Amino acid sequence: MSHQRLRMMLWVLVAIAAIGGLILALQRPSDVSSQQMATIGGPFTLTGSDGKPFPSSRLNGKPAAIFFGFTHCPDVCPTTLARLTKLRRQLDKGDQALSIVFITVDPERDGPAEVGTYASLFGAPVVGLTGSVADIERVKKQFGAFSEKVDQPGGGYSVDHTASVFLMDRNGQFVATLAPEESDGIALAKLKRLG
Amino acid sequence: MIRHLPIFALLLLASCGEQGGPDIKVSNAWSRPTIGQAPGAVYLTIDNKGDGADRLTGAFTDHAAMAMVHQNEVVNGIAKMRMAGEINVPAHDKIEMKPGGTHIMLEGLRAPLRTGDDFDLVLKFRGSKDQTVKVNVLKPEGQ
Repeated sequence: MSHQRLRMMLWVLVAIAAIGGLILALQRPSDVSSQQMATIGGPFTLTGSDGKPFPSSRLNGKPAAIFFGFTHCPDVCPTTLARLTKLRRQLDKGDQALSIVFITVDPERDGPAEVGTYASLFGAPVVGLTGSVADIERVKKQFGAFSEKVDQPGGGYSVDHTASVFLMDRNGQFVATLAPEESDGIALAKLKRLG
Repeated sequence: MIRHLPIFALLLLASCGEQGGPDIKVSNAWSRPTIGQAPGAVYLTIDNKGDGADRLTGAFTDHAAMAMVHQNEVVNGIAKMRMAGEINVPAHDKIEMKPGGTHIMLEGLRAPLRTGDDFDLVLKFRGSKDQTVKVNVLKPEGQ
């Protein structure tokens, strides 16, 4: 083998390695994020406001906006749920175009009746869900949602919790989150993309 | 001239007093409806047209066992609600309490708040006298 040919072949190898490396480098981040996205959500069974089991498969067939909150939350929770019902109205495709789901992170105070009446406050269909403490912990973990009880100086407790809404497509796949800081314009665009 | 000095002094003092004081007006007080034992939140605007600052020190209503000024914050995506302590109302400024921020939380409501209801809320200030404002219970969407 001549010196020149060997040199040429080495360069070709270097080029292949560089291209391979580039492809790997480009692919890796998107692989990781799609894996992470795929781990948000997944099938669950909680308890509906009628006290009966509510499997997440009942949400399939239309997009859903899932919010974790609690009924003793006077500010952020009603603000978020009222905003979602308003945005759904602005979508102008009827109440059936999007499920709005309220999952309590305070199952000790919020039984089926409490989540049911709370959900009925908004003058438009909202699905209220509760469950055992273990059920709620499991679903929180599935969604990467956080909550923590905080004692109130005047007695009783409040609950710190994830402020964002989880937007799922009609197959129950996670698509995006909706943060309270996002403008209604962005929020509406996100909801439209859910289909 | 000398004879009039005390009057001048008095006038000067009076004008000083007026200039330095706060001039508080509370308006646009509203709340969403509530259910069961759940607490309510009142949003309102405190307008200080005076030259002096004042501080909101507390709130009372006959409609609830406790009224507390609360501050809601979203820190790293987590909504946290805490007691706010006293709220400063600077001179020539206004404090607008809006959903997702500062509000007056009503704990132990005597009856759930219903759309169309109204009730009185008393705000206590460090400098100004108590201000009574009528809170309107709006639809769940609020304002």
